[in-house]
Amino acid sequence: MATKARIWKPGDTVPRTIGRSLLLTLPIALWSLLMFANPQRQSNRSLQIASVITSIFMIALFFMMMRTGSTYRWRRWFFVALGILFPVGFIHNVMVMRGTMGIPIEEMIAGRTPFCYLPIPLLILPAAFTKTLVFPGSILPGGGMSGAGMAAMAGVWLAITLVVGKGWCSYACFFGGIEEGMASVPTRAKLRRIDPRWRYGPWAVLLVMVLLSLALFEPAYCLWLCPFKAVSEYVAARNTVGMVQNGIFVVLFGGLVIALPLLTKKRTQCAFFCPFGAFQSIFNKTSVFDLKIDRTRCSPCVLCKTACPTMSLTDESIARGETLMSCMKCGACVDACPKHAVVWHIKGTEVATRPERARLLFLYAAWGMAVMFAGSIIAQGLATILHVLV
Amino acid sequence: MASCGPVVVPSLLAERAGLRLNTRYLSTFLGARFLGYLLFAAVAWELGTLVSLPPAPRMILIGVIHVLLAGVLLWYAYSAGHACAQSCSGSKLVSLGVTKKRGVAGAAALGFLTGLSLCPPFVAAGVRAAELGSVAAALLFFAVFFVGTSVWFVPFVGLGCVARNEAVTTVARMAMVLIALYYAWLGLTMLLGRKLYGY
Repeated sequence: MATKARIWKPGDTVPRTIGRSLLLTLPIALWSLLMFANPQRQSNRSLQIASVITSIFMIALFFMMMRTGSTYRWRRWFFVALGILFPVGFIHNVMVMRGTMGIPIEEMIAGRTPFCYLPIPLLILPAAFTKTLVFPGSILPGGGMSGAGMAAMAGVWLAITLVVGKGWCSYACFFGGIEEGMASVPTRAKLRRIDPRWRYGPWAVLLVMVLLSLALFEPAYCLWLCPFKAVSEYVAARNTVGMVQNGIFVVLFGGLVIALPLLTKKRTQCAFFCPFGAFQSIFNKTSVFDLKIDRTRCSPCVLCKTACPTMSLTDESIARGETLMSCMKCGACVDACPKHAVVWHIKGTEVATRPERARLLFLYAAWGMAVMFAGSIIAQGLATILHVLV
Repeated sequence: MASCGPVVVPSLLAERAGLRLNTRYLSTFLGARFLGYLLFAAVAWELGTLVSLPPAPRMILIGVIHVLLAGVLLWYAYSAGHACAQSCSGSKLVSLGVTKKRGVAGAAALGFLTGLSLCPPFVAAGVRAAELGSVAAALLFFAVFFVGTSVWFVPFVGLGCVARNEAVTTVARMAMVLIALYYAWLGLTMLLGRKLYGY
């Protein structure tokens, strides 16, 4: 009976009072101040103002999550802002440093491209067989990389990934926001019947890219298939091959990031193409947090299935009371469920027991990561706009 | 292994599970690859200059092989889907898993074409074979080269332990299509190389 008394009921804890919401937001507020109160920013007025705005933005969104109990609605504001502001800051930096968005192959070989996490899965086999990283980016100011720096980056990524799993794709990825924004534009999906087998696309791309990266000893995804090259740094085309590469980037970006999200209301690049997303899915097995469906409350109306931006809910998975391993923990299904049957869950605990506590713990981890990792990107983008306009 | 991996891994995953079945597939693949090696060795020795041909004809030769490889992979991907749709019974190409009709066309074609596909160590071996005194020595050299490189394929047998379901087969088929597109592109760039690279 004691267990039954602890069962969460809709409305038990949310909406919270303003005071309680503020109290719960306090740790994130302190973390945010710590992240943005960087002495190096003092010399750059635009960045200083942008940091303050970003800090307030992130704290306010977390407060609203606490106050309303809704996750997806508020997270989306942050994620779309990240998706839009990343290219702004990035392109500005590239233009200032290089004068063009096109990167010559010599620069790429010299490792003078910024760090990107997408090629991480492609590094594993070449590194295992040859002890060499075929990494196209740099993490040192002058270009190139150090073993210690790479190890530190890998360590941060691993620590975050082990806790939030594929939540990375909803709280840290600086690419996904563009398509989430596009998917939010139409009120209803025009293209509703999607063959569920397209969900296996990311795994196929991952398999091919891992094998080709080993065979060619180059980050094949960055050279041929990354849609986001269209809004970051493309290959400096000196011949037809370079033009074809850029053509592929533009077509993939236009199709998967702009057109299909508008038509389907899904994050189509993430759901059907991104190899890093497939790689992160594996870590959903190690993550402490997941989403469950309380079968005692579920009708099932399948509103959660419709709301899921990555098709990570199927009739079968709903019947089993769980999401597929491709779940990005964005919270869309939780917000969509009218009966509060979809709940946040900590592995090893009873389903629907204190789900708000599970949500809170997940959000502290995920939002902490968002502030640290994505917050500085948002601030940089805002600073660029302020710098240009003001 | 690195050069053949993109072809072997997806096509193996498109087959049915089981260590025996996968061993048979790999044996067929390697056997056909061996034939490709021997053919190349004989031609390399006979011509003496095959691997040191002027770049243009050599590019055309490799380009054609890559386009053929792309065609076989696409056919394989289609056949795998067809086979699954008919409970793995009616495929022309993917029929290693069928107990009654053990067709080996797919594995053999892929093995033979990857055997002829000129990866860097293979070209180096071809130069060595062309310098040898007799065709028998060239054949022996390539036979030993084949044994040495085939050892790296043994771990692929382990893919037989991966459970096959719709997800694995679909991923394998999609991967084969992507690899086919890559080889088609590679082949076409070689055939049209001069114009593509602007010189």
